[in-house]
Amino acid sequence: MLAADWRLFALVGLAVALLVWALILFAALRWRRRDGDPLPPQFRRHDALEITWTVLPLVLVCGLFVYTYRAEATVESLDATPDLAVAVNGFRWGWSFAYTGGPVITGDANAPPQLVLPVDKLTRITLTSADVNHAFWVPDFLFKRDAIPGQATQFDLRPTKLGTYLGHCAEFCGLDHARMNFSVRVVAPDEYARWLRAQRIGARP
Amino acid sequence: MNLLAWLTTTDHKRIGILYLTTSLFYLLVAGALALGIRTQLARPENTVVDAHTYAQMFTLHGTAMIFLVIAPFALGLANFLIPLQIGAAEMAFPRLNATSYWLFLFGGLVVFGGAASAEGAAATGWTAYAPLSEIAVSTGIGQDLWIVGVFLVSVATILTAINLITTTFVYRAPGMTMWRLPIFTWEMVATSLLIFMAFPALAADLLLLFVDRRFGGHAFDPNGGGSAVLWQHLFWFFGHPEVYVMILPYFGVISEIIPVFSRKPIFGYTGLVLSAFAIAGLSMGVWAHHMFTTGAVNNPFFSFVSFLIAVPTGVKFFNWIGTMWRGSITFPTPMLFSVGFLLNFLFGGVTGVMVASPPIDYHAQDSYFVVAHFHYTLGGGSLFAIFAALFFWWPKMFGSLLDERLGKLCFWLLFVGFNVTFLPMHLAGIDGMPRRVVTYADMGALPLLNLIATLGSYVMAAGVVVFVVNVVLTMRRRIPAGNDPWGANSLEWWTSSPPHEHGFTSLPPIRSERPVFDARHPEVAVRR
Repeated sequence: MLAADWRLFALVGLAVALLVWALILFAALRWRRRDGDPLPPQFRRHDALEITWTVLPLVLVCGLFVYTYRAEATVESLDATPDLAVAVNGFRWGWSFAYTGGPVITGDANAPPQLVLPVDKLTRITLTSADVNHAFWVPDFLFKRDAIPGQATQFDLRPTKLGTYLGHCAEFCGLDHARMNFSVRVVAPDEYARWLRAQRIGARP
Repeated sequence: MNLLAWLTTTDHKRIGILYLTTSLFYLLVAGALALGIRTQLARPENTVVDAHTYAQMFTLHGTAMIFLVIAPFALGLANFLIPLQIGAAEMAFPRLNATSYWLFLFGGLVVFGGAASAEGAAATGWTAYAPLSEIAVSTGIGQDLWIVGVFLVSVATILTAINLITTTFVYRAPGMTMWRLPIFTWEMVATSLLIFMAFPALAADLLLLFVDRRFGGHAFDPNGGGSAVLWQHLFWFFGHPEVYVMILPYFGVISEIIPVFSRKPIFGYTGLVLSAFAIAGLSMGVWAHHMFTTGAVNNPFFSFVSFLIAVPTGVKFFNWIGTMWRGSITFPTPMLFSVGFLLNFLFGGVTGVMVASPPIDYHAQDSYFVVAHFHYTLGGGSLFAIFAALFFWWPKMFGSLLDERLGKLCFWLLFVGFNVTFLPMHLAGIDGMPRRVVTYADMGALPLLNLIATLGSYVMAAGVVVFVVNVVLTMRRRIPAGNDPWGANSLEWWTSSPPHEHGFTSLPPIRSERPVFDARHPEVAVRR
């Protein structure tokens, strides 16, 4: 969904840019002044043309808005029955991932934490911050959300590809902002179950 | 030149030149900071500067470019030009005008003064997001000096807007009806209205933060019943109109220059004026598109209004193309910079429509994609128009032209350097590079993209050096300009260069938006 959105906007944007660049360069180069040129025609307006180039872009952006409205609704919709839930808390300069009924993984800039998620399962993230604004960004997911103290926001993740993905804090939060990283490891469901068990054993005194 | 006369002046032309000189001084400082930033980012895990110094550098770079360079340069230009363009002898409130200038100069110095304090200058970015900028986290006095300095500049800006709008409404020469105003003056009217609506919100935001920091307030402190999101609302309620405060004047500059060098009247005058007010009006309703990722605003509304702004902006582009269409076009330096403006700004506009879509912004926001986007509008756009304006009006201000060969060299260095610097940043952002980072991982294409960007920034620096050389050389060996070296249109080209102390000794009949052209070409002049 998000990748398709990027492709559509990049293509439409480039098409418009190429067209207008071509018009600018054509006009500038085609009508360069040559010695002895008389004063060019002094026309000032063309109402039909001006209405056209107001209305056409209006139609275009309305179309883009309809598309974007639908895409956003899909991205932001919250499923009634997520498979698991993780409370993510940003702090200067690290993250904690608290699995509901499970382990709490915490790490900072020196030892970045890892969020382990089962592939194709729906994870509900509840995001907040302990001190200043941060932002939870996994570039490979094409998605970020701000972590703001005093408010919690929710979104759903359903990773579909196995692998380990790097995440950053995207909102400037002070000295070690650049090192406030984390990773997301997407694993098969049975491996996820093994990981959960290992966390429980590790947590015993 | 009498120094005391300049320090005590209330002459709009001198205040204009003081404004322009001061903003160019801040431009050199902010540019040097940008070179430092690019040098640090040339290699991954680089250690040219430490994280704290780096944070001060990008904070001061952003603060200076926005509050001390791009907006005040436009105000300085308006100070010099508007009374001349409307055939007035002076601004409506000359002493208020001087007050604005001194508040602006010292406001900027106060912001930079933080660098001399023990904990250094402000280091929270030009957006100073609370709670990061609260006293509990940012303990240094540098943040307080930033607040006070920016507050002084915002007061100066509001006072200048009052002055410009009163002058334009009240002091027009006989025959200069509103619908004969040059487009630059119209764009400054729209800009002044935006300043009235936007800057008080900034002033309030800054005062609240100051009360939080020094008098125990809790406006932005969630632990004390405040709201961290409130800062963003107030800041962007100012901050997005501010974007148009920084571009509308330069739309005006371009609209003055393109007709002169196309030897045609501006195409679609009415459309250009109406689109300026459409942009100004719409820009009051888009502030939360800076907050799509907060999860605290109505994204579809702000997305739709942001998309709409593309329409009046597109109208302007088509009108500029229409002005060149079937013209008789020459390319001295001001025209080169104007066409460069069109090419660069267009790309910034296209990426602007992209990030106006929340699902795209979820990835692009606070990444180098957004850094690239706004540098294409404010760097490739406004800054190119600043150079266009300097080359165009320099002979009017000082009676001496800048050198054309050095001017063209300056343009090409800046145009190539700019695109080499900022085009790769789009890709760095898509690859996952967050903005405001002192370093980045040695991963994928990031090191290469950053190295290219850094090399481009050095080419831009060379362009600025060529400009400074140009100024110094032509001050020594003057190239006399005459009243109207370009064959231009508006009234400022009727008077002497530099203009007479009271503007004019005579005025031509004013029958259109280009009375000087009409006087030069009576065979095609408008007769009404």
